[in-house]
Amino acid sequence: MAIAVKLDDLLHDRRMTLTELADRVGMTLANLSILKTGKARAIRFSTLEAICEALSCQPGDILRFEPEQAERERPAA
Amino acid sequence: MSRPISSSAALPVAYVLLRILIIVNWLGGAAILALLVVLPHEQWIMTSFKLSPSPEAERLVMGLRLMAVLGLAAIPLNHAVLKRLLAIVETVREGDPFVAANASRLQAIAWALLALQILSLVMGAVAKSVSTPAHPLDIDAGFSINGWLAVLLTFLLARVFAEGSLMREDLEGTV
Repeated sequence: MAIAVKLDDLLHDRRMTLTELADRVGMTLANLSILKTGKARAIRFSTLEAICEALSCQPGDILRFEPEQAERERPAA
Repeated sequence: MSRPISSSAALPVAYVLLRILIIVNWLGGAAILALLVVLPHEQWIMTSFKLSPSPEAERLVMGLRLMAVLGLAAIPLNHAVLKRLLAIVETVREGDPFVAANASRLQAIAWALLALQILSLVMGAVAKSVSTPAHPLDIDAGFSINGWLAVLLTFLLARVFAEGSLMREDLEGTV
């Protein structure tokens, strides 16, 4: 997927573990892990809000649009 | 909160009923096969239907045989419907009916129902063509608005299940 989740970098910057974040936002570690590894299909606004609050960041800090290789090559072909 | 009694009782009843119907369907098939293979004597059929030998009576016997063959063709179609319905009931009992497999099952049921309706139309036409005022043949076959509505409804339900299972997948992937 072209949407990348930058949760790992943010957690590293904040010196916070995934378990701590799960406790703060009230999510299960399994669900947070799905989000972190980019396996989630969608994210609720409420989840995004809770994470932004816990990490003192903006949604754009968590999610990035990174066009995939094939998608970048398609217009040139 | 406890579940309504009707919903909790409906599943076991449907499960047992479908299992019985599967057996009854095959028994019906065996009975038709027996009529076709074991008792092919025209004289026996003539006597059973109190027919006197005549070209009309022979046509009627031929029509009856043809309808028996068509009835035999309905057996695997009935089985396909019942077996898939049983599998759907199983998924409901397991608490996970909104899966892509059930959408495919409903689609297959819809095609089988369509084939059964066509079969019924052919049987009705055969009955009409061999029936005479002297030997009227009144069978429960032919065009049925309810039958065709059931076909349409099942095709629509299959589509609804396909969409529903996709939405379910999306929901499962939502954090």
